[in-house]
Amino acid sequence: MAPAHRDPRIPAPASGKPWRNAALVGACLVLAALPVLLGASNYLLGLLISALILSGIALAWALLGNLGGMVSFGHAAFFGVGAYASALISARLGVPVLLAIPLAGLCAALSALAMLPTLRLSGPYFALAILAYAQIFRILATEATGLTGGGAGLQRFPGLPTILGLDLGSRTGSYGLLVAMVALSALAYEAIRRSHVGTALRAIAHSEDATRVVGVNSVLLKAWMLLLSAFMTGVFGALNAHIIGFLEPAYAFSGLWSVMPIIAAIFGGYRTVLGPIGGAIVIYLFDQLVAKDLIAVGHQILLGLVLVVMVLIAPNGLLGLLKRRAGGRPHADA
Amino acid sequence: MTDLILQALFSGVLIGGVYALVALGLALSFGAMRIINLAHGELVLLAAYCAYLVETRTGLDPYAAIPLALLVVAGVSAVLFLMIDRIRQDRELNSLILTYAVGIILTNAILLAFASDVRSTASPTLQDAVTLGSVYAMTGEIIAFGLSLVLMVALWWWLKRSWYGRAVRAVSSNRAAATLMGISPGRTELVAFLVAGALASFAGVALYTMSVIQPALGHALTVKAFVITVLAGVGSIPGVFLGALLLGVTEALTVTLASSALQDLAGMVLFLVVLFLLPNGLFGARARRG
Repeated sequence: MAPAHRDPRIPAPASGKPWRNAALVGACLVLAALPVLLGASNYLLGLLISALILSGIALAWALLGNLGGMVSFGHAAFFGVGAYASALISARLGVPVLLAIPLAGLCAALSALAMLPTLRLSGPYFALAILAYAQIFRILATEATGLTGGGAGLQRFPGLPTILGLDLGSRTGSYGLLVAMVALSALAYEAIRRSHVGTALRAIAHSEDATRVVGVNSVLLKAWMLLLSAFMTGVFGALNAHIIGFLEPAYAFSGLWSVMPIIAAIFGGYRTVLGPIGGAIVIYLFDQLVAKDLIAVGHQILLGLVLVVMVLIAPNGLLGLLKRRAGGRPHADA
Repeated sequence: MTDLILQALFSGVLIGGVYALVALGLALSFGAMRIINLAHGELVLLAAYCAYLVETRTGLDPYAAIPLALLVVAGVSAVLFLMIDRIRQDRELNSLILTYAVGIILTNAILLAFASDVRSTASPTLQDAVTLGSVYAMTGEIIAFGLSLVLMVALWWWLKRSWYGRAVRAVSSNRAAATLMGISPGRTELVAFLVAGALASFAGVALYTMSVIQPALGHALTVKAFVITVLAGVGSIPGVFLGALLLGVTEALTVTLASSALQDLAGMVLFLVVLFLLPNGLFGARARRG
């Protein structure tokens, strides 16, 4: 399926200059280390941890939206499955937490297998079918009291362990772990984007029929993107569960886990890798520090407004806007 | 037991009438503009809260709120339309996200204005029980169902006979050809959007007279309306009506035979089964989705 010659009409992946990319990565690392170096309070680190969890889901959402061309309104399903799977695997089966987390990601990907028939659907039908799945998962988790503890919640499961003298359960440790996990996810995303698979996916976005004609199994590729996105979301759901130490269906499968990543990714620019990550941090901190202060109940109205403004003024997100201002290409391609 | 099942079937049919109104609005704007208005349920809820406002402030019957509801919902619909109309790039995806965002704004605005309490009509006339053989209903439910039937016939007539109704169908089936025939697609879309808003207004007021409302309901209504449009297939009013009755009855039977916690599950499962097994909906349709 790997095309031998690159069609000139299909935009090549933005490669940039190597030193520029290295400088970018370095800048991000310095930025990530800054809160710890400056001795940020546990409260601030806690906020940043939640923001990074959101970054991970936003990245997973953008991966599906950008590479797979599918808008999901139901990522809460994968988040919830990952959270419960990791808590149950570590508590019931005694599997070490750091092993339970990737296993939980696999469980989320397995749950996405049930959604494969939705790949036949396009656009709004896919978006709403996934939403239906998320609702079904939430109701099932509430009803399966034997497994999940139902509405009463689940709290007897281990937290993050201490590795090589670093207590991952501490605020600083969790923060470091999440920075690493988000960076890892971003690298994986970037690697796929640059691979032949990425080229094929961009071609599908231009014309799915034409791409199928030249022998690319588009449904298979989209299925892989769905599973990968589910895996990533599940892993971050699992991380969040072990950091918070408490689960209930209304929280783990909350619609917020579907909404916030969309707002974050659209805000930052869902066709870029850094956009969803930065967007999530900005949006989460804005929501918690500014919006909640202004309006205690119903502060999401401001997020809704942000989303409306972004779609109308800068559908490519802040990064897309910056690129255009910088005189780059008119709009950032995949 | 038979009595319980009969009662569930009857109640399901009655709520199905209001579901049909909600779904027809969504289907109309989808038919005309090819976009799914994810804020449609919130528009319905906005009208329901207009009824609540009028009833509590003036003591009038909730149905007296219809002019206010029409005005408010039409205003919001027009703003929504203008915003959607501005989208140039990735229209399908961006309109989906835009209407979703408007839904979030409306839900939270309602939450801010009316708090998260559950509200329902206080009118004793509307809550009076009517017995029909072994089943019973509230007067409000019967009136709402009657209103739904009348509006469905009116919509059918409008689409079939009126100039704008025909224009909506023309734009829906072939935009370019319709433009060549002298129809302004932009104005036609706006009219379709406003008629959808009017349907939402009636549906909202009717919902308030027969059921309970709360801010989170808007999103659930959008999903129900979408489920019904999928059940019905594209472009058939009787299909939407039957799809809505099917959803109402399925929900009511689930509550009676299983538990109320599973009510939404039944609707969702019905949705997925139809989506996968009958891609054209239950009641046949010309166009295939996707």
